[in-house]
Amino acid sequence: MSPLHTPPRRWISFLRWFCRQDCLEDVEGDLIERYEMHREKLGHQKASALFRREVLLLFRPGMISHFEGNQKLNYYGMLKHNLLVSFRSFLRYKTAFTINLIGLSTGLACALFIYLWVQDENSVDKFHELDDQLYQVMLHHEESGSLNTGVETPALLAEAMASEVPEIDIAIQSTPSSWFGKMPITFNETTIKAKGQFVGPEYLELFSFPLIYGRASVVLQDKSSIVISKSLAERLFDEPSEAVGKSVEWSVLHFTNTFQVSGVFEDLPSNSTEDFEFLLPFAVFSEMLGNGIQWDNYNALTYFKTVKGTDVPELNTKLENFIKSKREGSNVQVFSRPYSEGYLFSEYENGHQVGGRIEYVRLFTAIAVFILLIACINFMNLSTAKASRKSKEVGVKKAIGASRRTLIYQFLSESFIITLISIVLALLLVMFLLPQFNMLTDKQVELVLDTKLLGTLGIILLVTGLIAGSYPALYLSKFQAAAVLKGELRSSVGEFWVRKGLVVFQFALSIILIVGVMVVHQQIRYLQNKNLGYSKENVILIPNEGKIAEKQADFLAQLRNTVGVGHASATNHTIVNGGSYTTGVAWTGKKPDVQIRFGHIGVGFDFLSTLGMELVEGRPFSSDLASENEKLIFNETAIKLMNMEDPIGKKVNLWGNDMEIIGVAKDFHFESLHQPIAPMFFKLLSDPGQTIVVKINAENRFETIERIENLFLEFNPSFNFNFQFLDAEYQKQYTAETVVATLSKYFAGIAILISCLGLFGLASFASERRYKEIGIRKAMGASSFSIVRLLSVDFNKMILTAICIALPLSYYLANSWLENYAYAIALNGYYFAIAGLLALVIAWLTVAVQTARVAQTNPVKSLRSQ
Amino acid sequence: MGKSYLGEFEEIVMLIVAVLSGEAYGVAIIEEMESRLNRTVSIGALQTVLRRLEDKGYLISELGEATKIRGGKRKRYYQVTQIGRKVLAETKAQRMGLWNAIPSTNIDHSL
Repeated sequence: MSPLHTPPRRWISFLRWFCRQDCLEDVEGDLIERYEMHREKLGHQKASALFRREVLLLFRPGMISHFEGNQKLNYYGMLKHNLLVSFRSFLRYKTAFTINLIGLSTGLACALFIYLWVQDENSVDKFHELDDQLYQVMLHHEESGSLNTGVETPALLAEAMASEVPEIDIAIQSTPSSWFGKMPITFNETTIKAKGQFVGPEYLELFSFPLIYGRASVVLQDKSSIVISKSLAERLFDEPSEAVGKSVEWSVLHFTNTFQVSGVFEDLPSNSTEDFEFLLPFAVFSEMLGNGIQWDNYNALTYFKTVKGTDVPELNTKLENFIKSKREGSNVQVFSRPYSEGYLFSEYENGHQVGGRIEYVRLFTAIAVFILLIACINFMNLSTAKASRKSKEVGVKKAIGASRRTLIYQFLSESFIITLISIVLALLLVMFLLPQFNMLTDKQVELVLDTKLLGTLGIILLVTGLIAGSYPALYLSKFQAAAVLKGELRSSVGEFWVRKGLVVFQFALSIILIVGVMVVHQQIRYLQNKNLGYSKENVILIPNEGKIAEKQADFLAQLRNTVGVGHASATNHTIVNGGSYTTGVAWTGKKPDVQIRFGHIGVGFDFLSTLGMELVEGRPFSSDLASENEKLIFNETAIKLMNMEDPIGKKVNLWGNDMEIIGVAKDFHFESLHQPIAPMFFKLLSDPGQTIVVKINAENRFETIERIENLFLEFNPSFNFNFQFLDAEYQKQYTAETVVATLSKYFAGIAILISCLGLFGLASFASERRYKEIGIRKAMGASSFSIVRLLSVDFNKMILTAICIALPLSYYLANSWLENYAYAIALNGYYFAIAGLLALVIAWLTVAVQTARVAQTNPVKSLRSQ
Repeated sequence: MGKSYLGEFEEIVMLIVAVLSGEAYGVAIIEEMESRLNRTVSIGALQTVLRRLEDKGYLISELGEATKIRGGKRKRYYQVTQIGRKVLAETKAQRMGLWNAIPSTNIDHSL
């Protein structure tokens, strides 16, 4: 027998660990004998494998030793005992148990929801295979001493970069689908409106949107090809496999064209910010732009793929003056940012990254931690509060030889058990409420029990169990056996402070959350109701398509004559959230180093009155006068920035043409309220524009809309009439805020609920402990009211302290949040007063409900009981 | 009758123990089963059955002398008890009864 070849040692230990003692010896002998025999015949490897197999097959109910009655396996005995004691204590102190369970499970459910949300936010745009090489080009515009950052780039940039910068492998242009809205695609008689993008030929090689039919490298090469999504193909051709090679009609504005379907891609995943149903070659868009393609027109987004191993910071320094070297007098600095970072880190201030959605991710992570903390504090408080009851148990256990460590394990196992039960409950809650959550957040989050989630749950269990259980475990196990059994347990001053401090902390957090919710809510209301400088009510937007675009003057004239319609006009602007910009404006007195980025809105006649915009000076565009397309109307900010006095009649140079200023419009918000009002000008549309804007009377709105629909269908019989209300479109740009506001409302509510539960538990415990005292007081003639007051005075003090701590903090936090907005509410004293009062009233009610019950009991009962 | 019911594997194990008469311990039983019946069985499966039969009182076991060859572990030798023999005999009688009840033509065909 060679000593080198023994059966796998670890497997023997495993066998010895689980096997019944009375079988172990002969079974082990049998195993070794079999192993030796196999080794001689089959060699060490095979014999070991067979040995392992045999050991595994022995791991069966008949052969495994029982958990109890065996000295070697005493851990099980202790664990069993701890479990039993924990469950008994749950049954004995039902209120505390219920409070802990409700608190922890709702807290955990919140934390889980937030975890799912954060995971989803983090996964956005990360799925592209080239993620680590995929960058988006961004521009800093130097404007009157500060930097404005934007994603729009000159359409010429991509080709120039790809050919001139060796570190850049592929660069492409793209247009976000939001620029055009939905465009009609027609096959035979079916017309479907879908979101589309114009993209450079290598787009699908950069972005991982898998093709079902067609090859990524070729589908966008031909100028007359179109790539469509699977679901669009299904709707147009029934079968996606039928799609390739078919011709479809496409139109936008007054452009129409025929394209051959060259490929079909899988529908985009929900965590993609790219959002389109078909792709057209960028060359089509270039043709539409015509001479609009210039270095100082920003009409495309640019993405590129770096060569592997590129030092990106170095590349950025190299790129900084790329456009300046192309165009003298340009004011833009080029830089790049990883494509997938764009979603969470979108905001820039004066050239520096200042956050974006990541702030919501951070905010919610903090809320999750706070809510869990509040629930943990309940557990700590309630278990230390009932310490006097548990002290006897601790005393007896210590007297018969339990070590402190054993006791710590016991209390910790209690907190772990309750956390575990809570996690299961929380999971059930999450499963049950997930559809509502998805509706609220407009996401498609799923609860998949994968290793990542299980790992997180494990960590949550460990951390929560430890935080909740550590203080009681350390505190309770400290008792001196002799003192406890003599009944000399006195609560120390320190303990008292810890418990009070925890309640104060809990309530301070809740108050901060209440203030936060109120401020967010008010700010959003403010944004939605702010006077924007134009009236957005009763304005409907109709896509300018088909025959309407062709015979626009006719359509508008008929529209204006429709009953119930006030004004009607056309524009190429989204009105609510910005559009295109130019720096190509020159005026007399312009310093060569000053560059101003003007927003420009192309409008039809009657546009200003349709939206109720006012002119400070001058006149609007008029259809009665000739050469109106050589005239401009600026806003006040623009005139101020250009430093012009008496602007009416003065000339400026726009894209090389002299234009006369005929009016100055009162400032209005044409971008999100995150930004201050920027300089802009109106120009008469040279094309039909993409949207018809109609102001209708407030009365009989629906009849009016029906009449408009009939008129629309008269012009475009094969189209669907899709209109939008301007105010609804306006609110859409604040969806993120609205979701955050709603979510934080729920979370704040839950935080308060959990805090109150804890307070309720403490109050009930305090009154229970003073049962006798209350009985005596009542026998001596104290009124119920005075007893309630006596019992709640302590709690009132704690809540007042919490208010004092929370209000300044919440003021600071609210202020720094509001700084994100160029237009924000002023922080009103009464938000804080309400939050404080609310916390006080809720807390007082909680305590009063509990104490009133005790105060009303018959003193005979309490005095008789022993 | 139901009391003394034997499973097929139980019956074979008991028969092998009887065949080995006094030399029946784990590995020996497995080897005997392999050579006579061409049937492989894991120690786990065998041990559970042996314990079960011992609990029922059909088998009795005792530990043998320690030997060097098995890592110093003793063997556990099994023997069929009186009751065990009775149950085996009963099982055999039942089987024979069934065999005898088959009409002879069928036997000719199948054998």
